[in-house]
Amino acid sequence: MKVPYSWLRELVPTSLSPEEVAVALTEHGVEVESVLRPWEGLTGVVVARVLEVSDHPRADRLSLAAVDAGGEERRVVVGVRNMGPGDLVPYAPPGATLPGLDGQLERRTIRGETSDGMLCSPKELGISADHGGILILLEGESGEDVAAFLGLDDAVIDIEVFPNRPDLLSVLGVAREVAAITGDELRVPTPSVPEGDEKAAAVASVRVDDPERCPRYLARVIRGVTVAPSPLRAQIRLTACGMRPVSNVVDATNYALLELGHPMHPFDLRTISGGAIVVRRATDGERLVTLDGVERAFTPEDLMIADPQRAVAVAGVMGGDATEVGDATTDVLLESAYFDPRGVLRTARRLGLRTEASVRFERGADPEAVADAALHAAGLVAAWAGGTVLSGEIDVGSSPPRRRVAVRPPRASMLLGMEVSAGDILDVMGRLGIEGEEREGAVEVEVPGRRVDLEIEADLIEEVGRVRGYDALPSTLPGVAQAGGLDPEQRALRRIEDALVRTGLMQIHSVSFASTEDLELFEDERAAGVRVANPVSEEQGFLRSSLLPGLLRAAALSIGHRRAAVRLFERGHVMRLEEGVVEEDAVAALLTGPALEAWPAERRPQDVLDAKGALEHLLEELGVDGWSLGDPPGPPYHPGRSARVLLDGEAIGELGELHPSVGERFDVPGRVAVFELRAAPLVAAGAGLVELRPVSRFPPVRRDLAFVVDRSVPAADVRASLVDAAGPLLDRVLLFDVYDGEPLPEGKRSLAFAVDLRAADRTLTDEEAEELVAAIEARLASDVGAELRAG
Amino acid sequence: MVTVSRLAVDMDPAETIADLDRERERGLAAIGEAASLEELRDAEVAVLGRRAPVPAIQRSLGQAAPEDRPRLGKAINEVFESFRQALAERERELMAERERAVAEVDAVDVTLPGRRLPMGALHVLTQTERAMVDAFVALGYRVMEGPEVETDWYNFQALNIPPDHPARTPQDTLYLDVPGASGLLLRTQTSPMQIKAMETQPPPLYVVVPGRTYRNDTLDATHSPVFRQVEGLAVDEGLSLADMKGTLEAWARAMFTPRQRVRLRPDYFPFVEPGAQVDVSCFACDGAGCRICGNGWLEIMGAGMVHPRVLENGGVDPERYTGYAWGIGVERVAMLRHGIPDIRLFYEGDVRFLEQFARGWS
Repeated sequence: MKVPYSWLRELVPTSLSPEEVAVALTEHGVEVESVLRPWEGLTGVVVARVLEVSDHPRADRLSLAAVDAGGEERRVVVGVRNMGPGDLVPYAPPGATLPGLDGQLERRTIRGETSDGMLCSPKELGISADHGGILILLEGESGEDVAAFLGLDDAVIDIEVFPNRPDLLSVLGVAREVAAITGDELRVPTPSVPEGDEKAAAVASVRVDDPERCPRYLARVIRGVTVAPSPLRAQIRLTACGMRPVSNVVDATNYALLELGHPMHPFDLRTISGGAIVVRRATDGERLVTLDGVERAFTPEDLMIADPQRAVAVAGVMGGDATEVGDATTDVLLESAYFDPRGVLRTARRLGLRTEASVRFERGADPEAVADAALHAAGLVAAWAGGTVLSGEIDVGSSPPRRRVAVRPPRASMLLGMEVSAGDILDVMGRLGIEGEEREGAVEVEVPGRRVDLEIEADLIEEVGRVRGYDALPSTLPGVAQAGGLDPEQRALRRIEDALVRTGLMQIHSVSFASTEDLELFEDERAAGVRVANPVSEEQGFLRSSLLPGLLRAAALSIGHRRAAVRLFERGHVMRLEEGVVEEDAVAALLTGPALEAWPAERRPQDVLDAKGALEHLLEELGVDGWSLGDPPGPPYHPGRSARVLLDGEAIGELGELHPSVGERFDVPGRVAVFELRAAPLVAAGAGLVELRPVSRFPPVRRDLAFVVDRSVPAADVRASLVDAAGPLLDRVLLFDVYDGEPLPEGKRSLAFAVDLRAADRTLTDEEAEELVAAIEARLASDVGAELRAG
Repeated sequence: MVTVSRLAVDMDPAETIADLDRERERGLAAIGEAASLEELRDAEVAVLGRRAPVPAIQRSLGQAAPEDRPRLGKAINEVFESFRQALAERERELMAERERAVAEVDAVDVTLPGRRLPMGALHVLTQTERAMVDAFVALGYRVMEGPEVETDWYNFQALNIPPDHPARTPQDTLYLDVPGASGLLLRTQTSPMQIKAMETQPPPLYVVVPGRTYRNDTLDATHSPVFRQVEGLAVDEGLSLADMKGTLEAWARAMFTPRQRVRLRPDYFPFVEPGAQVDVSCFACDGAGCRICGNGWLEIMGAGMVHPRVLENGGVDPERYTGYAWGIGVERVAMLRHGIPDIRLFYEGDVRFLEQFARGWS
């Protein structure tokens, strides 16, 4: 809502400057976006009297005008000729500035004639969109500054009105807030209009078929108007408020709307069949050309204003084209009604229309303002367009009764955390123009129709706190009778992130959306993505079912910036479609590019074993035992360099390099090693609080054992057999060498383990160690066909 | 090499002195010629060892005439002393020589890069969110998390957001198209967890809920369809707006500076009453007004006293209990704390952005 400061001061004569008003409003809960000065760019333009208008000697469409600008005669070239000798016009001499013009005006020569500045149209002065001719002023002294004379030095306070405060969508509403905050007097306009003898009811009638959607409909009739532009100052104010001046009749209703906040609509009475207004639902498919020239179709959900023959307006949203007030209009039926907010909202939303009327009705107009607003508007119509306001109003239905809400002072004190008495409450209500009385220890108030937001006690307590100001509020801390903290699962999730950071991975957060192509990477349940009904973009049409595409995109970005060594991870939710939506926490990592870039770098690309190193580290830190690797998981993985990650035999994720075609698709060349796991099984299987295993004080017996096995035997199987055979005396086992080639036979490889054997309670003898080695050797021979390598 | 002299049974003093002079020359030469510490040890044995000439002369001193003995004894000691000095001197020289050799042969240019492990980093949003959460934990709050896919009831209706509210339109909210399930959406705030927290546990209730939230916004410098919030909810007997102000002030002091002040400005959110916009004094200018804040205050969150209808929807008696709630944007806090100008940086995964937050602490 844009509120011209001068208009505001007519209703509340505050001594605060526009900026001070803005601060006071903001601090008390009415958010001021900015203080505008729309005519800041208008300087130096003065009132001038036209002395003579003559033809331009060398241009048919141009004229020459001589004007008296305060004792000096000036000659200007003009493009229109709507002014004549004696008219007062705005004259911009060289050096003047205009809102729509860059820099100062200069003397110029136009087709051989010197123009000493220019005469201005309303548009050039920024007071309306009218560019049809030079503005003719009805009063003024030549030489007088036009900006000051027309009030174009005004400030406009731009307010962002919260949806629950439609009462602030008017100058009066904002003035009432200012009065409540500052204690200044509020001057509510009290319209009174002389009425003619003829009765309105004699020329018009109203019938409401749907009183639920239209609890009240009031009409006034003004006859004998002359449609013309409205007074300049009214046009200026409408423009300042962001409305377009149209004509005196339309502007009068809009002016009353802006001042009081109640939307009204003027019909050309002669276009209403029989002068009979019928408020009814639309018939299915009923059509109406609205004021904006668009033919629209309606449903029985929509409330229409009609005459006995046809619909003439969309109730609370927009008038019809055929019944619009135009130049030929002489008789006006002025509608002032109260429509149900939800109905207007639905219709406006369905039509995609947002009008000054619909915005107010859908948030809740003031049902009590119906009569006063109509009187005010009728008075303005009569004043600006002439004519007679017919006697009486046609008033159907009634405004809903006021709510009564009780506020208990102790409750208010408790909720705000500061002392509030019954007197304090009454004082604040009084400032807001709300009546109340003390009854049985509480203050009972009668909520006026304009305050749709005040429904319950807490609403009124907020008013007390807000108007008194939250500056007065102390800062206290409650006695919280519990220790704060994270639960074990949340701590485990943090540990997952920390462990991956310790393995040298950088965490990313990527957006949670996936494209069709992302989902097509998978052939398992992750191919079934959850579709977003109204996606932000086409590539974000689904929710992500895997963290891998996000990691690939981040890797591609970094590689594009010449950061080839990529080590990333993400932890976040993934979603897929099964019976319903399955949403779970996942963790994934991606490694690609050189293992290290700086000297002394190993000149090798990161591969599946780098990813596995990170995975092993993660599982080790979490204390997850009992995991193993299973079969290749299939797309999008490289079939020879991937495996399912199993926990107690159950798949919890995958490890591997991605198929080369996947990297290519995402512009990530070379080997791309990843893992992705569900987080919940990790958290469940993790060690939690660690219990100490006794540390032996006795020395270990170290045996380096190299086994020759078929290359097809997985190293993990060899190790598992070894561990099992060694039994409880095995302290530690490390695979330290893998070798194939001469002198080993083709198809064989050697796996060399450093095996530490140790007892908790004694030093092992050589004989014991040899026995164990023999047992290991025998066991590996039978389990995996291994042969202990000689030498 | 030094050879052992045969000595006469009756020592001639003059001859003995001449022997001693000769042995001193020989001994000092041997010491001086030692080219390594090992050779020096050999030389030491050759001049001072049991079988060395001068000790032999010393042992035969008994054969000298008694009047010659003191003079000869003194001369022998002088030779020993000169050997010891020469040995010590030569040892120092050889040690220094060896140091020089070690430095030369084994030298490494220590200005070469060190052998390092790759450096990992928590994302700055994770770091910020943890700091935000931990500050509330220190005030006694427990942490809860919830799903990002929500129902209309939890995200809107239970929070007193009526069916016609503009926030519920597809222009604001991302809805899901799930066969057989209508009204599923991506939560637009972490507030659904208010209701779930109340359903899980009766008051007193002090919880914070970090998590990802969604709006139908086009990605630009200040908007992201995906963002994070830390929701807070306190429900207890006698909680007031002043308690909320104090809590958020304590939090702000932990997050920004110990001088932080908090300002409440009345604001409207359907799930709180009274509702407030919470500003903290600018940490850069201490509230004086600067390029970052403009007017000395930074808008940081929406908050308020939980609406009685929301308490009821969570199964809590609004006559007996009151509560307050807030929702803080994690990105906003991270941008303020680290001077990050563009929200897109958080979600791109550019290594050059990520690696900057591997350093420092907060």
